[in-house]
Amino acid sequence: MKRQNLVALLATLMTATAWGQEVSLYGTTMAQMWKSETVGFDKATYTPATQYLGIDANKLGSDNLSLHLFGWGRTDLSDSSNLDGSKSSGYLNFGYLQYRFNQANAEIKAGRFTVSQGTGFEQVDGVSLRTDLRGGFTFSAFGGKPVLYKTVDLDSQKDYDFQRDVIFGTRLGWRIPKVGEIGVSYLQDGTKAAKELPIPSSVDYTRKQMGVDLLIAPAPAFQLRGRTIFDVADHAALPAGTEKPSNIAEHDYTAIVKFGSKVTVTANVAERNFYAYFAGTNLPSLFRQDEKDKYKGYGGSLTVSASANLQLVADFRHMNRESFGDVTRVGGELRYASTEKHYMAGLGMRSVSASKTIQVDPTAPGRSLSHTELRAFTMIERKRLSLSLDGIVQQYKEGNPYLNGLTSLYEVVASVGFKATENLKLSGDISRGSTPVAKDETRGLLRAEYRFGFGKKGGQ
Amino acid sequence: MARKSVLQFFGILFGLGLLMACSLISPETSFAATHPEGVGAGRPMCSECHTTDVSKGALKPYAAFDHTQTFVKSHKYQATQDANTCASCHAQSFCADCHGAKVPMKPAIRLSDSPDRLAPHRGDYLTLHKLEGKMDPSSCYSCHGRANNDKCRTCHR
Repeated sequence: MKRQNLVALLATLMTATAWGQEVSLYGTTMAQMWKSETVGFDKATYTPATQYLGIDANKLGSDNLSLHLFGWGRTDLSDSSNLDGSKSSGYLNFGYLQYRFNQANAEIKAGRFTVSQGTGFEQVDGVSLRTDLRGGFTFSAFGGKPVLYKTVDLDSQKDYDFQRDVIFGTRLGWRIPKVGEIGVSYLQDGTKAAKELPIPSSVDYTRKQMGVDLLIAPAPAFQLRGRTIFDVADHAALPAGTEKPSNIAEHDYTAIVKFGSKVTVTANVAERNFYAYFAGTNLPSLFRQDEKDKYKGYGGSLTVSASANLQLVADFRHMNRESFGDVTRVGGELRYASTEKHYMAGLGMRSVSASKTIQVDPTAPGRSLSHTELRAFTMIERKRLSLSLDGIVQQYKEGNPYLNGLTSLYEVVASVGFKATENLKLSGDISRGSTPVAKDETRGLLRAEYRFGFGKKGGQ
Repeated sequence: MARKSVLQFFGILFGLGLLMACSLISPETSFAATHPEGVGAGRPMCSECHTTDVSKGALKPYAAFDHTQTFVKSHKYQATQDANTCASCHAQSFCADCHGAKVPMKPAIRLSDSPDRLAPHRGDYLTLHKLEGKMDPSSCYSCHGRANNDKCRTCHR
């Protein structure tokens, strides 16, 4: 959306809040500070200030009409902390009017909103609607102009902006009580495929997807959830002799079985074909379709609620990527939360074994991706005061090509908060850690969170 | 004349279609726009209070919405099928903490005073992403492949 259109949209939406009978304004102001001193570079001091701001205005003339706005802005008060050298930036995450009908859980949204459908979380400047239909069916649809992002260079940007002209999608679901739900969806982003351009481009930023999502939940003790996504776009012809890759972008299914109230077992299996899954990316140099690589993973978890306050989770995952080989990850977490949630603590560990990796460092595959991570946190709330401590240690194999000679990295974050009123909380963090770039790193952060008005939701 | 007839035909067809579509709409009353009671801190277990068969709008067991570790890690399914059930407790800004399309800092910093929340990219993730990206780049793609890539493209050109 052009800047002047965005300003006009924002101004209109902001003015609309004046009619709201339940207006809630919420925000977080954050000030950070850190210094860096790297050999071969100038010393730098970074003090970015970030402002998040949101408005929920309900009952705009009608009980069913509401307005929702949320965005952020940031500026560097000293050296630029943005990698592109700029000192300020901002963004409107969403800004839409919503009308909720009293019947059929129907709603209409207009403005900038997000849609979770297909493989992505799409941002759209347009209109969406959804409703329940008779017989357990549901229908939703959206359409408009896709929110555009940056690509790697100006030439690609022109091509990208041209191809992504409109976005639309729809989903038809069928809910059967005590059985589950099945849905079929379609998403099209852009109508001018790369091969149809006056000067054909090598990169296609458009995509067409069909999806099937499934939930089988005949009883609270069992669930099977998952989805399959198909890439239905007609891509440019591949070089002669190349095997045609699968157009199944993703299978991802999870089964959950509860044994009584204390034990839950889950199992997951997923497969993604990058040629189809990465179709339409705006970063084709990283998410490469041309690799025709494939990911397969399976795993599971065991959750034991030892008591109302104590929970133990153990998980396992085996992953295979055709071009890199096998990786196995095992982990566990212990969580404690007091009955009133005034005290919480957690202890976690995960270990990744990559002895069968065939790339990265073929002479010593075990050291390239293998690592172990330990994490512990605690939180205490006493009346208006809150304290938290969070520590993480990542232990890598000696000689890891990415670690600049180090084998161990850590970060500890200590936070103190004071809830001055029900709607105002002030907090400050100090973090200390080490990275391959900065052997010692200390950062400070001040945060003010506030809320004015009568809204019942927001931030929760 | 012919053009007028075609327009009339499509007008009648559209009107009939609209009438048919309206007759298909469920007569059920919408469920509450907001959860009537506060759910407190921590991860809520819907089935602790809602012991009845199925939730009104979603027609699924309330246990399907229990905020277990598995739910928190794989909530994309519920977000696709039951976004309006999520909306009865969560404002859209809750989603934007992590799924903001463009965010000024990683979620682990934004939520550093709430270490109990599942905030991705804790610790020195700049190092770890080189490993995670080789093991499974599709896990990066859902957030960084189509939108939030300002930092990615600095190196990955």
